[in-house]
Amino acid sequence: MIKTVKKAISNIVLLVLYRALRVLSQHDSRVRNEFEALPEGFTVALRINPSEGEIRMAKVNGRLKRIGKRDDYDVLITFKGIDAAFKVLTGQMGVARAYAEHRFTLKGDIGVTMGLVRMIDIAEAYLFPRIMTKRILRSVPYKEKSTLTIYRKVFIGV
Amino acid sequence: MSMYIPSYFEFVNSAKLLAGDYALENITEEMSLLGSSRPFLLSDKGLEKVGSVKTLLDIFSKSGLKVSGVFTDIPLDSSILKVNEIASLYRKANADGIIALGGGSVIDTAKGLRMLISQGGKDILKYAGAEVLPRGMNVPFTVIPTTSGTGSEATGVAVIKDEEKEVKLEFISSYLLPDVAVLDTRMLESMPPRITAITGLDALTHAIEAYSSMQRNPVSQAYAIAAMRLIIEYLPIAIKEPHNKKARLAMANAAYIAGASFSNSMVGIVHAIGHSVGAVSGVPHGEAMSILLVPSMKYNVNEAREEYSDILLYIAGDVYASTPNENRAEKAIEVLSAFVDQIRTMAPVRKTLSEAGVKKEDFQKIANRAINDGALIVNPRAADRDDVLRILSEAF
Repeated sequence: MIKTVKKAISNIVLLVLYRALRVLSQHDSRVRNEFEALPEGFTVALRINPSEGEIRMAKVNGRLKRIGKRDDYDVLITFKGIDAAFKVLTGQMGVARAYAEHRFTLKGDIGVTMGLVRMIDIAEAYLFPRIMTKRILRSVPYKEKSTLTIYRKVFIGV
Repeated sequence: MSMYIPSYFEFVNSAKLLAGDYALENITEEMSLLGSSRPFLLSDKGLEKVGSVKTLLDIFSKSGLKVSGVFTDIPLDSSILKVNEIASLYRKANADGIIALGGGSVIDTAKGLRMLISQGGKDILKYAGAEVLPRGMNVPFTVIPTTSGTGSEATGVAVIKDEEKEVKLEFISSYLLPDVAVLDTRMLESMPPRITAITGLDALTHAIEAYSSMQRNPVSQAYAIAAMRLIIEYLPIAIKEPHNKKARLAMANAAYIAGASFSNSMVGIVHAIGHSVGAVSGVPHGEAMSILLVPSMKYNVNEAREEYSDILLYIAGDVYASTPNENRAEKAIEVLSAFVDQIRTMAPVRKTLSEAGVKKEDFQKIANRAINDGALIVNPRAADRDDVLRILSEAF
């Protein structure tokens, strides 16, 4: 697949992932608990090198919000290249496998990042079909809400 | 049995190893080749008291190496404040390299010092995480371990406490590896049986977890196999005969090799829970490993069946041959359990978490910490809070 297509799809999924995390931080008790454990003002960015895409988020007034570019983030996850990022973002590779294969660098507290990984695993369980998540996650989290409900809130906002 | 080939892996073990007779005498030459003639020595009060620091300084003196300063006031947990304090002494002494003599705390502090100096004295906390530390300036760095367990002399990992935020930050980078690792039995013979036992079981746990983790690869597995074989053969001898040089050197090699292995394929749930048991209940790391190894392997057995079966071959070839393939993973756990029990008959190593002073009411606190430990990310089986609680109960 040509690089520009991978880049376009990856950037769309980054946005979907952010929206899924925002929805789940209100509607899934496990994601909500993980999110509540983060301090107010906590910032996280997911970046694809070199300059292929980035999404930045923060906990603002108890809600997950997108934020503008900053010099520094509490946690910065940088994929080393578009190919591995594409695999992770399209449900072909789990975060744990990507870590094991050194596909990204991680700046920040690894302990805090473990909570973010759990949140992403749960989001993936909603976003991708089970046939995919069974392959990429060591244990597929159950869904507290129906996929349809979460999809509706993520894509339509209601 | 066929070896696992990941679709991609990385492996780094850049430290030069000096292992065996007169290894300490060769440090002068190595530091000189690295560009250091005034290294700064880091050690701890205990080693100063038993005379190891003096022995080392005498050897240096005879081989023409003059250290520019000695610092031994190193706490159990290396911290950013301590690193800053030592850095100012390092600069005052006009030092041009670092030699660390000690166990995990001394080596982690030395890694922190090296990080700080090589980055020009800038704030090192921003390099916390995985693979974000740049190489920086050349600061020749030699490590002489005084225990045979942590393998820290072969790992690109350091844990340093940030007092201000009250968190322990993990640094993972190949640029944390020392330039030279020195294994010399003269620095190891004073280890009492209990320390020999628990550090040896720590090294065994490194090898087992590295062999079976999601990040395993053919090179790290080859290292893990060598470490396991050495430990099974020589740990009992090193405990029984503390002055047996062959056994001491074999165990030092094993710890180094297991360290290089897990530095490249990580550890797993035994360490995730063990770190937390240590932090919450103060159980010594190696002892926590010895208690948690078997219950954690039982937890992982279905996901790590093939790897555990292989392990049986390397630790008990005759048992492997007489055990049907489908039972080998469980048999490996049985053999390891018997081995740990055998070590307990030779040295005072506690068998359960309750004996080690862990309180049941602390289980939640331990579990909450364990699930946030980075070691869990590549464990063969995912684990949540309830899974950790079950393992704790079994080990209690």
